[in-house]
Amino acid sequence: MADTLNIGVSALAAFQRALDTISHNVANVNTPGYSRQTVNLATPPANQYGTNSVGNGVQISGIRRLYDQAIAAQVHSATAGFKQLEVLANYADRVNRLFSDSTTGLAASMQQFTNALETLSTSPSSATARQVVISQAQNLATRFRSYQGSLDTMSAQLNAQVDTEARSISEIAASIADLNRQIMAGPANTLSGPNDLLDKRDLLLGQLSEHLAVTTVMQNNGAMNVYIGSGQSLVVGGVASKLQAVPGEFDRGEPGLTLSGYSTPADVTGAVTGGTLGGLLQLRNELLQPAKNELGQVAATVASLANQQQAAGLDLQGNRGSDLFTIGAAIGYGSSHNAGSAALTVTRSDLGAITAADYQLRLIGGNWVAVRSDTGAAATVTGAGTTLSPLSFDGLQVVVSGTPAAGDAFLVRSTGTAVAGLGVALTTPEKIAAAGPLLTAAGNANTGSASISAGSLVPGGSWTRGNYTLQFTAGNAWQVLDSGNAVVASGAYVPGAAITFNGMSVAVSGAAAAGDTFTIRDNAAGKGDGRNARALIDLLNGGTLNGGSLSVADAAGRLIGKVGVQASQAASGRDAQNVVLEDATSSLQSISGVNLDEEAADLVRYQQAYQAAARIIATAKDMFDTLLAATGR
Amino acid sequence: MRLSTLQFHTAGVNAILKQQAALSKTQQQIATGKRVQTAADDPTAAVQLQQLERLQAQQEQYAKNSVVLTNRLQLEEQALTDSTQLLQRVRDLVLQANNDSMTDADRQSTVAELRGRIAELQSIANRQDNQNEYLFAGSATASKPFVRSALGAMEYHGDTGTRSVQVDTSVALRDGDPGLQVFAGTRQGNGTFVAAVNSANTGAGSIDTGTVVDAASWVPDNYQIRFTAPGAWQVTDSGNVVVASGSFSPGGSINFRGVQVTIEGQPAAGDRFAISPAGTTDVFATLDALLASLTGSGGGQVARARLHSELGAALLQIDQSLEQLSGVRSEVGARLSSIDDIAATRDGRLADIATSMSQLRDLDYAAAVSRMNQQLVGLQAAQQSFSMISRLSLFDYL
Repeated sequence: MADTLNIGVSALAAFQRALDTISHNVANVNTPGYSRQTVNLATPPANQYGTNSVGNGVQISGIRRLYDQAIAAQVHSATAGFKQLEVLANYADRVNRLFSDSTTGLAASMQQFTNALETLSTSPSSATARQVVISQAQNLATRFRSYQGSLDTMSAQLNAQVDTEARSISEIAASIADLNRQIMAGPANTLSGPNDLLDKRDLLLGQLSEHLAVTTVMQNNGAMNVYIGSGQSLVVGGVASKLQAVPGEFDRGEPGLTLSGYSTPADVTGAVTGGTLGGLLQLRNELLQPAKNELGQVAATVASLANQQQAAGLDLQGNRGSDLFTIGAAIGYGSSHNAGSAALTVTRSDLGAITAADYQLRLIGGNWVAVRSDTGAAATVTGAGTTLSPLSFDGLQVVVSGTPAAGDAFLVRSTGTAVAGLGVALTTPEKIAAAGPLLTAAGNANTGSASISAGSLVPGGSWTRGNYTLQFTAGNAWQVLDSGNAVVASGAYVPGAAITFNGMSVAVSGAAAAGDTFTIRDNAAGKGDGRNARALIDLLNGGTLNGGSLSVADAAGRLIGKVGVQASQAASGRDAQNVVLEDATSSLQSISGVNLDEEAADLVRYQQAYQAAARIIATAKDMFDTLLAATGR
Repeated sequence: MRLSTLQFHTAGVNAILKQQAALSKTQQQIATGKRVQTAADDPTAAVQLQQLERLQAQQEQYAKNSVVLTNRLQLEEQALTDSTQLLQRVRDLVLQANNDSMTDADRQSTVAELRGRIAELQSIANRQDNQNEYLFAGSATASKPFVRSALGAMEYHGDTGTRSVQVDTSVALRDGDPGLQVFAGTRQGNGTFVAAVNSANTGAGSIDTGTVVDAASWVPDNYQIRFTAPGAWQVTDSGNVVVASGSFSPGGSINFRGVQVTIEGQPAAGDRFAISPAGTTDVFATLDALLASLTGSGGGQVARARLHSELGAALLQIDQSLEQLSGVRSEVGARLSSIDDIAATRDGRLADIATSMSQLRDLDYAAAVSRMNQQLVGLQAAQQSFSMISRLSLFDYL
């Protein structure tokens, strides 16, 4: 009888706990990170009566959290993947929108500049046409700088965000370490753990996964160790390391990341993957910097071509043209770890060979080795690094000043810095060199069929101006006379070969006869000559980049297309990763999530059981009363 | 599968949000009429569109260039027409002056008119376009091309440069011709040699401009036809070597080294006629010489014979100049007609470009609107079903 009462009481107590747990579940239906809990009921040891064992009621063997560590790990890695692609897609879309506007876009601005040159070549002496060229050059430079400015703003936002991310990660890591300590301090109970603490820790881990990809290892004492990248420890037991944004190794303005907790803070810039932080770093290396570099490549090419052609022609006053554009110089950043004192001076020497890539230049075993940052391919380096013999690779020339130490590294940015210094150097319209430098013509009395090219100035050469006559002393020999009839050059005739003298170069082709003459005159009076402007248009329209296979307009188009592809890839990658994340989340939710209908059913079930248990106690009382009544008198 | 209440709500709301995003995209496309909003929508089409836009702008620039070119060529054509008419008038004057019945007064009025015509031709050769560029100065368009020196000789101050105007991707046409090629560089005489009367001649022989009978036998040199007697001639070269000789009667032809000249009238013994290789001359030198012949000519048979020879030579020279002008003119005409041809092709090409751009960029409204209707129905269904199902709860029945 006492047993019946005890059994009833044990049932009441058990069902009350169960109802409490159900209420806790219902109450936390909207709590992030909450895992539903169930009460495990079991029978306590039975009473042995002879050979019979009589049950002893019910007891709670544990309150279990329904949670699957493996699926949770999937959710965390999917979160890291999704967040990385999300930040990438957001920025890529901004870059894409920046370049996509066709009316004010890069291609339109370049075409307007070309059209202005076209009008100039048609009316070289028109002051208006010249002014329009200057205005369009300014417009083009402004357009380039505005793109660069927008990209720089994004870089600045990104860099600030890297700092914020590092702080958030450190804070979350500290909280996880704190929870680890609390969990370790609690009683060790494998059946019924500190469920709500575990939920909190898993929630924090989920939040951490939004910032970067992590791996975890559970310890026997209940602690969870958290590692990032290739195994650098962020949380070990109750101790958290600190992730910090520090000035970058090469470009100090681009923050790197270090992890404290080591004897010297470990550089983990390259090790961080996944999450918002991983996305930001990927974005910087694969989208923003390449976009700046390619924009710079187009700008540097357009501006250099214009400057080259300026020097090859004559302005309205008959003077050799000077630079139309100023261009930002290429830069070599020294690593902050460098032991030597060397600094680099980088110049772009060959527009056709220049790539939009950054290079790592490293002194290994006394040799300079250049590796492309984007593909990892090695570039062939020639030269010694001195002024007379600069290091040459991929259209760049590098002069090393100071003393480098073995192992010193530099980041060579060939085109990314071009736009920063882009401007229009000429302000006077008369200074635009629209005219060709020379006027060549065959003599009237020539009996041979040879013809002479238009002639050009030797780039960078010193030009002795004047009117010259090229005379064939025989069908296979020529001499050049100046206006005083003095011979300034002579040689054997090779049809089509360049004849170079006094900073000029002409070519004669066809069969020449003895006595044939060609005049080579200074075109200082050629105010109506637009040949040089025309030549620049042809250069801008023709292939000049990538070894002559790509025109500047094509390169601009390629940049826009590439950004578009990146944006659309990032967006579809994000959407695909979202599906993975939703799948994993719903798998976890189907285990851990609270279903109100289910809880309602359980509520009814335990309520009825509770009522039944109460009835057992009532029955026990009745039995007791019956016994008392029977034995009372 | 077990479904948690939170998950049911999140999934339902996410589905509605996705439908809304798709609907908003379609709405934006319909509002702008563009299928490709940014390069990310269709990177290939975006790059192609940029190329087409560039082509379009280029072709439009070529159209502008063609207008400038046409204007300039028309100005040049007008100048050439004016010059031709002027030279034809001068030619008439020469024919009139060659008539023996001309009085001195007639000749003076001819001289006066000729002076005026020469000045007029100079002003045509120095014409400027609306940008004050000299038409016939080559590329030295700021220098007045035809200017008389202190000694009175016409000098060319332009150069031989030409300016080409791009009218199509691979077609550039010259927008003018240097004056040196229009008004100068004319072959002298008949193109091979020049025949002239010696000014010291005492006879009344006049020489025609001659013809080339056998070009292969002609050896360019300065020859003298010398009359050893009124009925006998010999030809000496520049080394004073006799290369031919013969007897003469008035109107008879003299042949040597593949050329033939005819001498009219009666030369006296010792009279000489010069045959020299043709160089080049300019129209102003021709007219100046003509003016000198007419001004300096006195009376008498001898002088008249010389005048005949000189006027004959001038006439030939004027014809050479006219031929040169008409050559340049026909070239200008050819350029003008190719501008028209290219313009026709360009219009077709621009239409093609516009069509391609529209195909790449523009929205198919019918498809877009039907897609929007579909999406609207989808969104409504998602909203309704969500609100209906989420209303169900077991707690309502407890």
